[in-house]
Amino acid sequence: MAECAHTWNMTNRQFGFAVFERCSHCRIIRAYYAEQDSWDDYKEGEHHWSIVENAQTFRFDLECEECGMYVSYDDFLGLLYCTSCLDDCPVEILRKKYEEDNTWILVGFGFLPESSANPYSAEKLEVLSEYFNQRRDTSRSRVKILPNSLIDKLSLCRGDFIHDVGMLSLEPPEERKPLF
Amino acid sequence: MTFETIKSVLGANVLAGTDLLQSEVSHVYASDLMSDVLAFGKSDSILLTGLASQQSIISAHMAEFKGVVLIRGKRMKDEAKTFADTHGMVLLSTAMDMFEACLALGAQLNGSVTAPRPAPDRATHETIILNSRFNIEGSDFASAGLVSTEVKSVLKKIGIDSSIVRRVAISMYEGEMNVIMHAKRADVDLVLTPQYIELLIDDEGKGIPDVNLAMQEGFTTSTEEQREMGFGSGMGLPNMNRNADELTVTSEVDRGTVVRMRFHI
Amino acid sequence: MTTQELTDLLGLKALSTFEPREITGVFISDMLSDVMAGAKSGNLWITVQTHKNIVPAANLVDASAVIVTNGKQVPEETIELANKHDIAILWTESQTFELVGRLYSLGLATQ
Repeated sequence: MAECAHTWNMTNRQFGFAVFERCSHCRIIRAYYAEQDSWDDYKEGEHHWSIVENAQTFRFDLECEECGMYVSYDDFLGLLYCTSCLDDCPVEILRKKYEEDNTWILVGFGFLPESSANPYSAEKLEVLSEYFNQRRDTSRSRVKILPNSLIDKLSLCRGDFIHDVGMLSLEPPEERKPLF
Repeated sequence: MTFETIKSVLGANVLAGTDLLQSEVSHVYASDLMSDVLAFGKSDSILLTGLASQQSIISAHMAEFKGVVLIRGKRMKDEAKTFADTHGMVLLSTAMDMFEACLALGAQLNGSVTAPRPAPDRATHETIILNSRFNIEGSDFASAGLVSTEVKSVLKKIGIDSSIVRRVAISMYEGEMNVIMHAKRADVDLVLTPQYIELLIDDEGKGIPDVNLAMQEGFTTSTEEQREMGFGSGMGLPNMNRNADELTVTSEVDRGTVVRMRFHI
Repeated sequence: MTTQELTDLLGLKALSTFEPREITGVFISDMLSDVMAGAKSGNLWITVQTHKNIVPAANLVDASAVIVTNGKQVPEETIELANKHDIAILWTESQTFELVGRLYSLGLATQ
């Protein structure tokens, strides 16, 4: 039987929060998806976590409507869009290359810190790119999602997450501060 | 209008403020951004929002909204419901999206909403994006399904919504099988415009004496042999009728049949 | 209806330069997550958000245009980014709630 070309549908959508927190001792950044937001500092073993940001986000899975193949994204944090902050960052170099081809680069993040050492599955990011391309007019432009491990120095990255930050702020939204 | 009216117009569930449903509301504000919510300074207002957080209820209370409607069936923590109850606010939840909810409440507030203008008649300046022709030979069971596969891949490549592509492919497959089983040959025209996809299957064959009868489920003229192969269970035309938005069948005995199907985009 | 026809019919102000596109439906939200999860290709996206992140979000779901309502001031960097990605940013003084009835009268609705 011929291999399925896959037609992806988004399924099992749930709305929740991307929580970014920093340990005040070791300065490590941790980020993950949670159903509820939380704003309180807390201790966990050696770590003392303070919330850096709570962003409204959603989680989902993808399912092929032809063959039923199911890809879970329960360990996916979100998409970051490159702001060209570092000339020699591999993401920026690829971004310039793909731009000539009308392809638009995003960076897919798994939970942190895990995904900075073990990149998010390239196969799953490819499926996600395919999902977004299948539903767009690709004669105009395409989308390509790269793994966050390609970012040269995360601590210097000034990329922006496509997350809902500051929805609850009572001040009109100003320039957002970088998350890293 | 009262909250009772809002509840019934939106088909909403009451999450808090059951005893306040008779109070009146005269303004609606639709936003998910709380800084904007705070800037909306009208009393007797209700907030439509997709931001399902306890803080959104608190912001709405600070801005003196009398109630909040959560759209798209979003859920809310119990603490938020308690907050609404203790602060005399009504909290509703509707499955509608923001557009539908705004439209329904707009109709209540203004008495009526302008009915949609009929779409401009594009017949005279219709843009045809694609017009392709395929051929089907009668009794060619070896090629059965090739045309529908081709149609499907053409539409997919263009980026037509996959649910429409599936309906077109199913209908084309049924039409193709009808030609293979009952006709000598046929031309198939696939026409794509920004508004619709049209399939025109024009066959040379014995025709259908009674089109209405053939449209009924279960009616078949297939031979025993054809049915054994899983074809001709009599679902062809009814199945097309189910999948296409418009279907017209015209037939002349001993000349042939023309099946025209349209799928709205 | 195309984004250009809509702009003319409703007297919207075009803040970015764009190629006209066919509108498939309307999606209203101020939350990028809602848009990414629910908006369909060719949808008109209506929001009070003006941060430049609306451009990548609109681009990701292939929205035909973004209408910024409520007369919100749109930062220059949002417009620059929109021009770069051929995203139509349209602007109106009307509130989202009021705009819905006008869109409906033009035959536009949730897809």
